[in-house]
Amino acid sequence: MSRVVVDIANLSKRYSLSHQHRPDSLKAWLRSLARRAASGKQPVDEEFWALRDVSLQIRQGECLALVGKNGSGKSTLLKILSRIIPPTSGHIKVSGRIASMLEVGTGFHPELTGRENVFLNGAMLGCPERKLRGRLDAIVDFSGVERFLDTPVKHYSSGMYVRLAYSIAAHVDADILVIDEVLAVGDSDFQERCILSIESLRQRGTTILFVSHNTDLVRRLATHVATLTQGRLDGGVLPGVARHESREPTHQ
Amino acid sequence: MNHPTMPKPSDRMLLIDGIPPTLIGYWNELLSFHEVLRMLVRRDLIVRFRQTYFGLAWLLFKPLMLMAVMSFAFGFLAGFDKNHSAPYPLVIFCGVIPWYFFSNAVPDSMNSLLNHIHIIQKTYFPRAIFPIAAVAVDAIEFFVAWMLFALGCLWFGYLPGWQIVFFPLFCLQLLFLCTALGLWLSVINVQFRDIGNLVPFLLTIGFFISPAGYTSMRIPDQWQLLYALNPLVGIIEGLRWSLLNGMDGFPQTPVILSLSITLAIGLIAVKHFLATEADLVDLA
Repeated sequence: MSRVVVDIANLSKRYSLSHQHRPDSLKAWLRSLARRAASGKQPVDEEFWALRDVSLQIRQGECLALVGKNGSGKSTLLKILSRIIPPTSGHIKVSGRIASMLEVGTGFHPELTGRENVFLNGAMLGCPERKLRGRLDAIVDFSGVERFLDTPVKHYSSGMYVRLAYSIAAHVDADILVIDEVLAVGDSDFQERCILSIESLRQRGTTILFVSHNTDLVRRLATHVATLTQGRLDGGVLPGVARHESREPTHQ
Repeated sequence: MNHPTMPKPSDRMLLIDGIPPTLIGYWNELLSFHEVLRMLVRRDLIVRFRQTYFGLAWLLFKPLMLMAVMSFAFGFLAGFDKNHSAPYPLVIFCGVIPWYFFSNAVPDSMNSLLNHIHIIQKTYFPRAIFPIAAVAVDAIEFFVAWMLFALGCLWFGYLPGWQIVFFPLFCLQLLFLCTALGLWLSVINVQFRDIGNLVPFLLTIGFFISPAGYTSMRIPDQWQLLYALNPLVGIIEGLRWSLLNGMDGFPQTPVILSLSITLAIGLIAVKHFLATEADLVDLA
């Protein structure tokens, strides 16, 4: 067995439905303070658990698909793992560098050229400029935007935009790649190339965690499948259909 | 055996538990993402001057215009240009340039988190990078403006004295003050957007209660102490003292007050920022 790189333990995330703990203006905040002072008790809160007591482990080289209906907590889990929102309780231990792609082309600036955006976006994904320079050819090659590399991305077609964005994330050398439903974009030709690139990343030891509603994609890519139901992971993690051909790391 | 062997994952360990980071932990985190800061500053500079005809010349044009207009308004119209050992445009320049920087950097960094909330909701790097980058972009203009000051000295045949060695310290304090205010206001602005309206208004008032267009000599003695509670008073008068041959003597009380207030703001800002940072997306 390869080593555990993502260890999720009893993770929960609570949202409160009333706005009293989350005043959205100074006025609402003052009003809630006054109300609390007058009644002398904490307001009763309606709460909603987006995740409840989720535990799971992902080992190096695995490709875990998170599936479940809308609102089952998949994205919440990815967001906590990507450090965008904090958990209410529980914790995640991560070893290695995470690169998250929760959206295509986060941080792309329309006025910047493709090339400039590669460096900006790459840095946001935690990859230093020096390393990106070495990867630039591969990134451009994969995305196929070569002719437009020095054109501001505001002039890109949506396909070019997506291809460049995915290409950057695939080349930043993360230990763990987190992908939220972004493989659904792009034409079938590009999707096919994404699938192949994810396969090859995984075989090189990258751990992948992705969310998808596309059962076909899950069948092809996932070595493991976790199904979330209303924020719970009752069924645990089941083996996926994709061949688990990753090998043990060679370190002693 | 054509499978490449698996690389060992980097030994970086990360614990995600929702507990606010320590200052040292956060500082290390900032250092590890310093490239993002550089990229954001570069991005803002590129975007600011792309598709502009004059391009970088705007960096010189703005302070020049400011100095000309201020010298005219306060020197010629208001008649404040008497009794100064240094040329009046230089006296004005020392006040207007730090004020101009402050009045840009504070709102820019205050709005930086809100303006980038779409990025914050989708990817992680230390959020403090946004307000810091906003201050850094304005700081570049600020330092270019001082080169104009050097040219102005040549023009008037004026030579700053030994006090100039303290010039970088006052600049540093101003940078620190802007960054601290930026960090603090930017997180408040995400939750309570009221201050987005309040701060520009306060800055309009601030111009008149800071010695930008005049020197604090003009303030009656009984009001000096109250006046010096504005931390910019110590900084601006300190800058004048350091660049203009110790102009009206060392502004001791304003400098001490200003330093203490700056430090206090810094402490509150950092504390508040660290406590709130992780919750930003939930608060927005």
